[in-house]
Amino acid sequence: MNNTEQIKKSLKKRYRQEKRFRLLSLLAVLTGFACLFILLVDMIINEKLNISANFDLEALQNANFRGLIKQSLHQLFPTVRKRSDKRALMRLISVDAEYRLRDKLQAEPQLLGETVPIWLLVDDDVDTYLKSDKQFGRVSQEQIAWITELEQQDRFQQRFNYWFFQTGDSREPELAGILGAVMGSFYTLLVTLLLSFPIGVMAAVYLEEFAPRNRWIDFIEVNINNLAAVPSIVFGLLGLAVFINFFGLPRSAPLVGGIVLALMTLPTIIIASRSAIKAVSPSMREAALGLGASKIQVAFHHVVPLAMPGILTGTIIGLAQALGETAPLLMIGMVAFIVDIPQGATDAATVLPVQIYLWADSPERAFVAKTAAAILVLLLFLVAMNGLAVWLRKKFERRW
Amino acid sequence: MTTNIEQQINETWGQPFVEDAKISIRNMDVFYADKQAIFDVNLDIGKHEVTALIGPSGCGKSTFLRCLNRMNDTIPICRVAGDISLDGENIYDTHKDPVLLRARVGMVFQKPNPFPKSVYENVAYGPRLHGLALNRAELDDIVVTSLKKAGLYNEVKNRLHSVATGLSGGQQQRLCIARTIAISPEVILMDEPASSLDPIATAIIEELIDELRKNYTIAIVTHSMQQAARVSQRTAYFHLGRIIEVGETTQIFTNPQHELTENYITGRFG
Repeated sequence: MNNTEQIKKSLKKRYRQEKRFRLLSLLAVLTGFACLFILLVDMIINEKLNISANFDLEALQNANFRGLIKQSLHQLFPTVRKRSDKRALMRLISVDAEYRLRDKLQAEPQLLGETVPIWLLVDDDVDTYLKSDKQFGRVSQEQIAWITELEQQDRFQQRFNYWFFQTGDSREPELAGILGAVMGSFYTLLVTLLLSFPIGVMAAVYLEEFAPRNRWIDFIEVNINNLAAVPSIVFGLLGLAVFINFFGLPRSAPLVGGIVLALMTLPTIIIASRSAIKAVSPSMREAALGLGASKIQVAFHHVVPLAMPGILTGTIIGLAQALGETAPLLMIGMVAFIVDIPQGATDAATVLPVQIYLWADSPERAFVAKTAAAILVLLLFLVAMNGLAVWLRKKFERRW
Repeated sequence: MTTNIEQQINETWGQPFVEDAKISIRNMDVFYADKQAIFDVNLDIGKHEVTALIGPSGCGKSTFLRCLNRMNDTIPICRVAGDISLDGENIYDTHKDPVLLRARVGMVFQKPNPFPKSVYENVAYGPRLHGLALNRAELDDIVVTSLKKAGLYNEVKNRLHSVATGLSGGQQQRLCIARTIAISPEVILMDEPASSLDPIATAIIEELIDELRKNYTIAIVTHSMQQAARVSQRTAYFHLGRIIEVGETTQIFTNPQHELTENYITGRFG
């Protein structure tokens, strides 16, 4: 009876503890979700700004497309006479407008000699001015007057910026695109995956299944674990010194970036793969050995397939880490301003996080929106990769 | 009394040797690092008979069994000394291949350990590994014959291609036996094959062992004295890494010579 009383008393305390712990855990999870939510909401609101305003004007046939735009503007504002004012008026339109006009005519030659209304991209300063409710943007008093007049004539329109996903970087925010960085990231990650996955898995299989237990192997193990904690900029220095200076590989290339990131990802993959291999039940190894399988056959017929979900998770985590890495790439020149979209692993390129850094660092206000959009693209990339990881896990998972 | 027994454990009582031996073990010592697990064991395992190894936990029965197909090679700190010969050839010769040995000396483990693949794939794995089947039809034949020999065919014939881990414990263990006999070994080592099974599944396995004896040489480790008495022809009693007594099963169980054996089989030994 006495005992029961005692247990009852302690039970109450134990339940209280349990409740407290559960509450704290829930709080932790909710905090995580809240942070993610705030981040996403913030992003999406920024994203809305990333739509370029277009502005229509009538076009006349002339080989001088710039002159054409000038003429059309002049027709709209015949009172503007001064040379400097005319130039200011011209600055309302993006510098790229004349080329798009040319492209349009090339695509539709029947427009020759016709007068048609056409939408053209505005300059980033005008864009910023319009989107920020006329608070920001480097526009003069005259320009503000013109913009107001054009607005009253309903000559501005917001459109989704497809251009952003089709071009490389540019000095002009309204023309800058993310595709160059996306392709750069793609090639870099491809090189990283092709190098780090086979080498990492092989190293893990060797260390777990074949390596003799001696001092050398212990030494290698300690080094792999230490490598995982080396600051990433150091890997960049290594890439610069060894791959670019010694082996003479091209500067700013996804090839070098991929190799450097592969070196950085290797410890992650090796450590994850080793623990996945270690977790394979020894009875599977015994079963195969008992049937007369050699060590290699045991490893590749049974152990690696069973460890595959864990290995893949480790690999994707490593790659996601590599995707977000900036510091080592700064050292090997992938921070350069590159307009062309890379066509292969040896072309000069930049990657998404570096692109984000570059745009965030630019003085033009319109780049703020570009930065936010680039972050969203990077996040989408990550979500897609994690989704792939989950799918692969499900696919390779086998019941024990 | 106690000192008397301690003095007597250094020699093996009974008849450790038989005329028609499949495996002969002479002066075998096994060490795990510095710790000796088996002391100077001598034993013959006769052709086409079941030899049961009994004894209290930790007495070295499993270690002994695993040395017979060099499964202990996978434990780096394990060292085996002495002669173990299969058909007169020392299996621990440096030029002998443990992979070939394990194809000739199969093993069934304590816990059923089918691969997480289909029933068919489990049985077909060994023959495929050693190239025993030239085509699909031959392989099918081997799989069906092995499953029939293990008495499992009728139960799984409609789900040969479903996952083996979905079978019951007893079925899984018989699948493991089928998998072992699919490569036609000469010897089958069984390490407490029925210890995780219920009495009905155990009875089926025991019948199977008796049936298999006609074609294979079997060594079985068991904790159940009744099982040893039922399935084996010869029994060896292990104690602290030594074989205390070995002989015909009927003689060991009805008229043990050594006091330790008697204590153990009558349940007086703790």
